[in-house]
Amino acid sequence: MPVAETIILAVASYAILGVVFAIWFVFRGVERFDPVAQGGPVSFRLLILPGSAALWPLLLIRCLRALKESPA
Amino acid sequence: MSIQYRAVQWNRHKRIYDLLLVAGVVLFIAVFMIVGLTRWQGTAAAHPVTLLMRATSSCAITMLSIILMIGPAARLSPRFSPLLYNRRHFGVTMFLVALIHGAVAVFWYHGFGIVNPIVSVFTSNARYDSLSGFPFQPLGVLALAILFVMAATSHDFWLKNLTPTVWKTLHMLVYVAYALIVMHVTLGFLQDDVSWVYGALLGGTAVVIITLHLVTGVREWRRDSRDEGQAFGEGWIDVGSVDDIELNHAKVVVLRGCERIAVYRHADGISAISNVCAHQNGPLGEGRIVDGCVTCPWHGYQYLVHNGQSPPPYTEKIPTYDVRVEGRRILVNPEANPPGTEVTPASIPSETSGDRA
Ligand code: HEM
Ligand code: FES
Repeated sequence: MPVAETIILAVASYAILGVVFAIWFVFRGVERFDPVAQGGPVSFRLLILPGSAALWPLLLIRCLRALKESPA
Repeated sequence: MSIQYRAVQWNRHKRIYDLLLVAGVVLFIAVFMIVGLTRWQGTAAAHPVTLLMRATSSCAITMLSIILMIGPAARLSPRFSPLLYNRRHFGVTMFLVALIHGAVAVFWYHGFGIVNPIVSVFTSNARYDSLSGFPFQPLGVLALAILFVMAATSHDFWLKNLTPTVWKTLHMLVYVAYALIVMHVTLGFLQDDVSWVYGALLGGTAVVIITLHLVTGVREWRRDSRDEGQAFGEGWIDVGSVDDIELNHAKVVVLRGCERIAVYRHADGISAISNVCAHQNGPLGEGRIVDGCVTCPWHGYQYLVHNGQSPPPYTEKIPTYDVRVEGRRILVNPEANPPGTEVTPASIPSETSGDRA
């Protein structure tokens, strides 16, 4: 049943991209995103990793928007 | 109240809570397994892995049912508030237990074929057009996905950065997850012969959860119509008498049928602030003033009563309202001030001043 395989492939790709994004986000991106997170411990960063991987499109859009607003 | 995030904001209370929680889970699964292994032997025996799957699923659905009851129960009686205090840890633990059930099911039932186990969950029973034969496992997968997103976004970081409204909406999906799980279990029963006791338990619990929600809903609605402020010329609203409010406590009032405010009586007089805590929308008017600050009954966030700001170094802010006292009546301007606006408390004329004047 190729329908099922296609859906699962799509979900898996989303998840893999999410994990890659999340690793960058929790160690780097988040610092610009929320001042309270600056210098936060590794345990905190790991704890928000799954959520960042799941909601990555949302966070990516917000990061890009923040970048546009403050041209470094 | 955070100036820096930590992984878990533990305190003594939460440690005890979490310890009891984990002990409860371990005990539940252990008793389930021991009874299962000793009761059915010989040809009727269930494989230990199957038993583990059933023990974790029963534990998870019990926990989920408790979680759904805590909210309305705490509104009916403050005795249940201690459970509410750390409900998030309850939720995350429930997800982990459900995850074990799901993972074991996928590998045990689907892991030994040539088809990818995840694909197999969706395709091994493809009777998607049948009602009673409908594949029940994909429903479990969907529910687990919802529980995952909720558990993954339970840290205060998400509450703040997704905004409380989005966060709250996301976490309302727990009801969708519950519905999916009820269908998952019901269809599972229909396709297997399971004791009717289990079905009765499931149905009974669902009825209790729905009734609790209805009862609290009706009560809140009644209370809101009773506590509605009365218009008092020039846009001010009469919210009651100063004598209705105990010192360092508040009265919750509904303005214009929707906004709830907390009208506090304190040493300097009367102040009105939003009833909605900046943390997780806890009911500030059900708290009291501790060390000069309004203290939320849910997780203890604090606000200065005259400006709605958390005391430094914290930065939370909630809206304040202009107040005055005429005679013994308290009048509130229903236009909220921006969060953190300083408002001079309305002083209360002393009880006897009326006689002397
Ligand atoms: C990946 C997701 C899931 C899969 C693949 C899955 C699979 C299964 C299977 C195969 C059964 C029948 C077990 C048996 O032979 O007795 C079952 C039953 C059950 N499931 Fe799930 N499930 C999943 C998620 C969930 C979730 C999230 C819950 C919620 C807490 C849940 C609660 C239950 C309950 C209460 C039963 C009935 C008791 C039992 O027989 O274990 N399941 N599930
Ligand atoms: S809701 Fe958490 S402290 Fe108020």
